[in-house]
Amino acid sequence: MAQFDRSSIERRAMLRGSLGAAALLGLQACAPATNLGRAGIPTPGTGGKGSLRPMRITRDQLIDVKCCIRPLRAAGPNLGTQMVGDTLVIHNYGHGGSGWSLSWGSAEIAVSKALTALPREVAVVGCGIIGLTTAVVALQAGLKVTIYARESIQQTRSFRASGSFTPDSRVALADPAGPVFGDLWERMARYSWKAFRTYLGVAGNPVEFNDSYQLSDAPITRRLSPPDPSIGESFATAGAPRQNSEFGHYSDRIRDIVPQSQPLSDEENPFNVAHASRSSHMIFNFASYAHLLLSEFFARGGQFVMKDFHGPADYATLKEKLVINCTGYAARDLWQDHSVIPVRGQTGWLVPQPEAFYSVRYRNVSLTSKRDGIVVMNNNPDLGEMLGVGDSMELPKIADIEEGLKIIAPVFQPSPARSA
Amino acid sequence: MSARFIMPALMVAILSIAATPAPVSTRTGIYTQAQAADGAKLYAIRCAICHGRQLEGSYEIPALQGRFIANWSRAPLTNLNDYIARAMPQFAPGSLKSDETAKIVAYLLKENGLPAGSQTLPSGGAAMARIMLEPAPLTAEVALQAK
Repeated sequence: MAQFDRSSIERRAMLRGSLGAAALLGLQACAPATNLGRAGIPTPGTGGKGSLRPMRITRDQLIDVKCCIRPLRAAGPNLGTQMVGDTLVIHNYGHGGSGWSLSWGSAEIAVSKALTALPREVAVVGCGIIGLTTAVVALQAGLKVTIYARESIQQTRSFRASGSFTPDSRVALADPAGPVFGDLWERMARYSWKAFRTYLGVAGNPVEFNDSYQLSDAPITRRLSPPDPSIGESFATAGAPRQNSEFGHYSDRIRDIVPQSQPLSDEENPFNVAHASRSSHMIFNFASYAHLLLSEFFARGGQFVMKDFHGPADYATLKEKLVINCTGYAARDLWQDHSVIPVRGQTGWLVPQPEAFYSVRYRNVSLTSKRDGIVVMNNNPDLGEMLGVGDSMELPKIADIEEGLKIIAPVFQPSPARSA
Repeated sequence: MSARFIMPALMVAILSIAATPAPVSTRTGIYTQAQAADGAKLYAIRCAICHGRQLEGSYEIPALQGRFIANWSRAPLTNLNDYIARAMPQFAPGSLKSDETAKIVAYLLKENGLPAGSQTLPSGGAAMARIMLEPAPLTAEVALQAK
């Protein structure tokens, strides 16, 4: 435990002091008409090595807010096939909030299936994380690959995700997906986990781990979502989930390889919150990861053609007669797949602060420190996985991020009782 | 060359062609359901420990669907059969009897969407060598359901 390698008294003073300074500034800066500007940067932690440095969460550090729609399919991602004229289409879309996390496993399944047609070349439609990964996997299999897409990955919805390994985030509804989906999910998750590990330590840190602290005023317990019998409607009757208990949860299937949360003692807890637990989680650095994948794609001879598609018939006009369809949320309109349910989400981005390289979550607000910025998510109101369901408004709402910064600011404040 | 020599030579050629059975495709039902059922039991005991109960493999261990069948395609089925006989299971290579190997091959074909039929899959040799491994057609109707 690098953060806590000093004597108890010394580290408490150090951590609480430095974090507290940051939080005070955060609160002040979030208040209207207060302008601390860049001068509001707190004094760096006194500790140096071994200390948990504070995050600067003042409003002026907010440099971007991004919004995207996650493509939830009740039955899970579409990995089926269909003919369009003389063209065989293999689908690979509809991964909910788990596209990044399942990208390698899902690409492997789609490409593996494509290979049984013994093709020499394939087209990949779409250049989000699923499309680009699928294209790279197809190239690695020795195929000639052309990506047809209207934009490169940096402008896709994939780039507006949060960049954490969340393989069962709104990926399916339990009943429509059925028990068989759990096996498929596990296969994709385990495969992806191994693939991502091959990027650990690579220059630019495209994939890495950091410590993640869950903070709570009340003792931390596992959140359960039992069915609410007073809610009569469900996906079966309404075409969209109506409560949290409808979502499929599969992460327990891979708990043997994914770090689990451990409670922190009061002595270990550096935050101004009564209860804390710590885990480690895998994060993706969008900038360097996309650069790396694109570099591999082009180095292996991949071709990119800018093209928009207006319906399934367009797929049959491609010269490639085998097409892997990786169009994410766009498939809802393009393929008229109305089983794709929009789930809105948004992220705020603070200036990168590698010296404060950890994550915190408190009262449904999270700060995830990554090389490409600190991700701010305000998952309030507290609706669990139902938050954003059915909402296809894709413009960011900055006020929600600002509110999130206010909500989480107290965790960095010095506690009179504790620091006394 | 005179006609006197040509005619017998042609006759020999024609006879030899007739004596060599034409290649057949794995799409034509070249194993029996019973073989595949036996193969499933053998697979569970000898193969699943590495390749997974559902042939799913892992990041390091080949899945036995999809690209696997593509990799062994366009070649006599004996290539696959003989490799399994020589090299599998990796912890005990050469331990499968020849009829057991054929049953496992039958099971792998079945799990890759290739149909059973009335023909019994021979246990290697020339009879199997004329069977060409061809993947199941990948259409919506017979698409392999990823497991």
